[in-house]
Amino acid sequence: MTYLRQLRAVIRKDLLQELRTKQRLATMGGFAVLVGVLFNYSIDQAIVAAQDIASGLIWMTLVFAGVMGVGRTFELEAEDGAFQGVLLSPIPRDALYLGKVVSNFVLVYLVVLLVLAVFGVFFQLDYGNHPFMLLAVLAVGALGFVALATLFGAVSSGTALGETLLPILVFPLLVPMVVYGASGTSRLLAGRPIAEVEGNLRMLAAFALVALFAGAGLFRFVVED
Amino acid sequence: MRSAAPDSSVGAASANPPPDPDAASAAPLRAVGLVRTFGAQRAVDGVSFTLESGRFLSLFGPNGAGKSTLLRLLSGALRPTAGELRLGPELLRTREPGWQHRIGVLSHQTFLYGHLTARENLRFFGDLYDLDDLEERIDAGLAAVDLVARGDDQVRTYSRGMRQRLALARTLLHDPDVVLLDEPFTGLDAHASAVLKGVLEALRDGRRTVVMVTHNLTEGLEMADIAAIQVRGRLAYWESAEGLEAAGFPGLYRETVEASA
Repeated sequence: MTYLRQLRAVIRKDLLQELRTKQRLATMGGFAVLVGVLFNYSIDQAIVAAQDIASGLIWMTLVFAGVMGVGRTFELEAEDGAFQGVLLSPIPRDALYLGKVVSNFVLVYLVVLLVLAVFGVFFQLDYGNHPFMLLAVLAVGALGFVALATLFGAVSSGTALGETLLPILVFPLLVPMVVYGASGTSRLLAGRPIAEVEGNLRMLAAFALVALFAGAGLFRFVVED
Repeated sequence: MRSAAPDSSVGAASANPPPDPDAASAAPLRAVGLVRTFGAQRAVDGVSFTLESGRFLSLFGPNGAGKSTLLRLLSGALRPTAGELRLGPELLRTREPGWQHRIGVLSHQTFLYGHLTARENLRFFGDLYDLDDLEERIDAGLAAVDLVARGDDQVRTYSRGMRQRLALARTLLHDPDVVLLDEPFTGLDAHASAVLKGVLEALRDGRRTVVMVTHNLTEGLEMADIAAIQVRGRLAYWESAEGLEAAGFPGLYRETVEASA
């Protein structure tokens, strides 16, 4: 019960802070909309079918917008030493990490939904074939992304380079996730049978689980002296 | 070294009632050869002392003497490069929940979230400590630092003094028996100082061990059972405050710093 209470406290505090500041949602959401607008005008849809490239665009937007948002997690924590106060408390470091993963996931997934809406409008994408499977693929992918980005966000926040280091650290590790995520999303947008995507979903889930376990185990070494 | 061995039991018996011997918290806090380096810099350089439970230690020293680093070693925020901390005969593991529940830290920084209200901040930290009767503790804490009326305002709207008072309420929310204070009076107005002083006076109940780092010789000495001076990472002076005269202490402080520099 103590663990759950501590976990819930971190999630509630992070989301409440975001609700008040809207800093990260505004940054990520604004970026997602801009990407949609720019690609809408930069792609000649008479030559390139939007559906063929939409999957890659969705995942790239997710990753770039997500890095912008998750990267700021620990910057907000640095305010008046608040994170130091948290580290002096008896919260297990894995509970702290998982709480941050959950709150980051909520924000990133809201942006995913915005990306789907924006790209749906600009590229007339049809999500009607397997909408729930599409949401599931993106949810599991977003979870894996957030699990890694939260850990490396803590690493980069402790360096002189700050959040600018985060993409350099995290992008190479995201390659498998983007490969399986984008390929699964492509198939779903093309109306292929769900059975063709189940393997992708399993790989994304495995990636997310490994990232979560690694993050929970390593977080204390990253945030403590 | 100006004084006898840094042992709080020296001449300190009459300042406060003796600590409860039955309580687990009665064991003295001992530092044994504590060292903390940052690169080539030895911020804390072989510090050893024994601080009996229930004593109020005021730690003075010039800027860069390593006082805050010593406090961070005691809190567990930093690991010592060498040496160890003990509670009585037991090795003290400062990164474990047992110690984290027992300490409260008030630093230069308030450890508060500006976009949360005072109540939300205290609720958050209370949840991290898994406290029972949290709402009652929050009410009592806000009352003790005279912030009940502003309890539902976001902390970013507070003055420096109000933030520091709220930080004190956060520090004491879980009723720690070891309180570590780093320059608690810095930047406070007269009202905030008076409130803080009142709360700190109340901490001198013989049950709590308090270590206060301060530049304010008068206020520090006024509350201390033991006065210590740290210079260049080392404890250069450690003595019961009982026999010390406030008027003569600045001179003693200057002499000690100059002799050790």
